Amino acid sequence: MVSGRAESARSSTHPFPSKWTIGVLAILGAALIAMPAVFALFSRAPKGEQMIESFRPFMTSKRLTGFKVDIALVNAAVSQSEHVVVPYLDRAADAGGSGVVSLDVRHSGFGQFAMQWGQIDAHMNSLLDTVTNNLGNYDAVAALPSFSLFPWFFVTPGAVLLLLLIAVGLSRRRWTFVRWVLVVLGLGLVLAPVVFQMFQRAPKGGHMMTAFKTIETTGNVQTIQGYFGTMAIGQGGIRLELVPALEASGLTKTEVESRFPAVASLDNRWVHILNDMTPMIGAMSDNVANYQAMAALPPFALFPYFFVLPGILIAVIAGIAKQRAPSATEPIDP
Amino acid sequence: MAHRIRIAGTLLVLVLTGLLSAPTGAANASSSAAKALVGTFDLTAGSCAGTAATGTYFRMIYPGGTLTGGKFFDNPDSTCTGDFSYTLATPGTAGGLINGKYQPDPTPAFSSSGGALASSIVQPQAFTAIDFSISTNPTDPQTGLSVPAPLIKVKNGKLSGQVEAWSADWNNLHFNQGSPKPGGSEPGLTTSVSGTYNGRTHAFVLTWASEVVGGPFNGFTGYWHLQGTFKASKR
Repeated sequence: MVSGRAESARSSTHPFPSKWTIGVLAILGAALIAMPAVFALFSRAPKGEQMIESFRPFMTSKRLTGFKVDIALVNAAVSQSEHVVVPYLDRAADAGGSGVVSLDVRHSGFGQFAMQWGQIDAHMNSLLDTVTNNLGNYDAVAALPSFSLFPWFFVTPGAVLLLLLIAVGLSRRRWTFVRWVLVVLGLGLVLAPVVFQMFQRAPKGGHMMTAFKTIETTGNVQTIQGYFGTMAIGQGGIRLELVPALEASGLTKTEVESRFPAVASLDNRWVHILNDMTPMIGAMSDNVANYQAMAALPPFALFPYFFVLPGILIAVIAGIAKQRAPSATEPIDP
Repeated sequence: MAHRIRIAGTLLVLVLTGLLSAPTGAANASSSAAKALVGTFDLTAGSCAGTAATGTYFRMIYPGGTLTGGKFFDNPDSTCTGDFSYTLATPGTAGGLINGKYQPDPTPAFSSSGGALASSIVQPQAFTAIDFSISTNPTDPQTGLSVPAPLIKVKNGKLSGQVEAWSADWNNLHFNQGSPKPGGSEPGLTTSVSGTYNGRTHAFVLTWASEVVGGPFNGFTGYWHLQGTFKASKR
């Protein structure tokens, strides 16, 4: 009776994959689970997400154009101060006007600033141009799923694959069903980059990371911080030295504003410039480490293929796996 | 026999009396420990004579600089015309720092142009055209960490303690300038709170340095010099 039941079980049509098939699929599953650990994705991906979120308030056309306008406003005020205000004050001093103070005192704070402004203006405009040119690349990266989820996009299918193989190991009858689940899983991995437009967005992210390489460094941030200090001195020189000197020369506040509009504009807009640009400097400073973490990952353009290649292998191997019948010595399925 | 009992009893009483009246080691240790002052460190307004400042003031040092050599950040609004790196302070409505108590930000903490509104410890003071001030809050507004109220102690005329909650407010931003930093660290040029106290005149000088961690001034260090007269109060 027992032998008859055994014969019956072995002769049933429950196809079973070869050991080679199971082994390769298990390796693929383990590789998917290991990949986030190999690339330190669990620690780096959240930092990348933090960087993208920190930059979000500043990565708009309106905001970036506003910064350029602010820099241009400072530039205009510096130019007008140098070429119009100072000569005017010099003529007033030569004419012996009351309240005119010595040239050295008048020009000390502003003078230092004016000497450095050309370099500051060039650097800041270059930085803003670089950021503006990468606005589209930033938008592409920001449109991807949350970076913190990316490790799980590898771990979850890898774990599912291994669990399915264990299920097959416990009962070979499950192979027919599991096989097609694995095909679907593989196709899912292939389609995921397509659904998330990773083939278009990931390379753009790579371009952005390359462009920001010289921006998101401690040295560059400290340079920008230094510029802030210099600009504050310069604006202070205009506000507290030149403008009072103009008024002391006999001009009313209204006359100062109408004859030297660029200087007046900077005076009026300075607090707004500080309100606007200081947080940007803060975001740059706070994300140097986050940028470095992202830059340590493999090139962004490769990421779609980290899904596609395992997906193809899983789908093909499961789909065309060589079937075999259980041998006479193998145990009967429960 | 009775005589011996009386002598033994007398000796026992003497021993017990001595034991009960002698100060313990722990008490001895506590009586020489630093003592927390109860009251307010009333601040003397900062002033400048030439290029040196006295009274209450602060300076900011650029990243990579030193506390004594700078490079120092010049505040064009400084009233110290000989050296704009000194930002002079004026006592606030409480007179200064109340020991062991929080002096938190008002609500709102900033004006519409980003100027700080806290005025208990020091009066708001212009810093690059925007007012800055000081507050101490149970939750540090920059880090979000719980911090103890400032507590300064004195021992043999020397001041020590912690001002973890010391927060500089400016341009809609908060910068922790405590020592130690929230959590207890002392990064970069951060130094412990130290100073002197004259028990007779109650004159004090309190100093520390604190590196800014995070934000637009990350890596800068604030050097704080508080000077004035301590005003004791009842518990």
